[in-house]
Amino acid sequence: MTLYTIILTIIGVFAAADIFKMIKGPTIFDRLLSFNILSSKVVMAMVVYALATSQSYMLDIAITYTLLSFVSTVLIARFVRTQGTLS
Amino acid sequence: MRIASGILMMAGILFVLFGMIGLFRFRHFYSRLLITSNIDAVGMLLLLVGVALNSPSAAFAIKVAIVGIISLITSPLSTHAILRSARDSGYRMKPGEKA
Repeated sequence: MTLYTIILTIIGVFAAADIFKMIKGPTIFDRLLSFNILSSKVVMAMVVYALATSQSYMLDIAITYTLLSFVSTVLIARFVRTQGTLS
Repeated sequence: MRIASGILMMAGILFVLFGMIGLFRFRHFYSRLLITSNIDAVGMLLLLVGVALNSPSAAFAIKVAIVGIISLITSPLSTHAILRSARDSGYRMKPGEKA
């Protein structure tokens, strides 16, 4: 049971709590907030996994995932704010 | 160097724990937005510094730094986008409050 296993387990428990909040949340903005921090936790888990296995291909995926989660969060927020019109 | 790296990573996890407690315990949406914005600001940066201190090569550390810089730029922007979406849609802390 190394340190990386402990950190990855803690991040996994937090991600499960986050998915619970995403299902339960009262408004759509709570769900959007939960999605935002869930993607942040996925990036953390990717970086710790890359360090645990000493392979750097996972970091390229982490960079791409950060940019994609930012774009999708801003897109959904604008879609809700303008009530369905994205022009 | 391994010990400092472990301490920094656990400090990052501690800040993530604060954010998760605040997400479940705070009553209003804007308070939850405020407390969860330090998950990907403070917690993620501490964890990335801890990873970069223990990295096996220089290219690994540079890639971790790129992830940190991109996260530092994009996380306040996405928080602001969610906040502006909620406020422009008419979500208030007290019902009936004027804008």
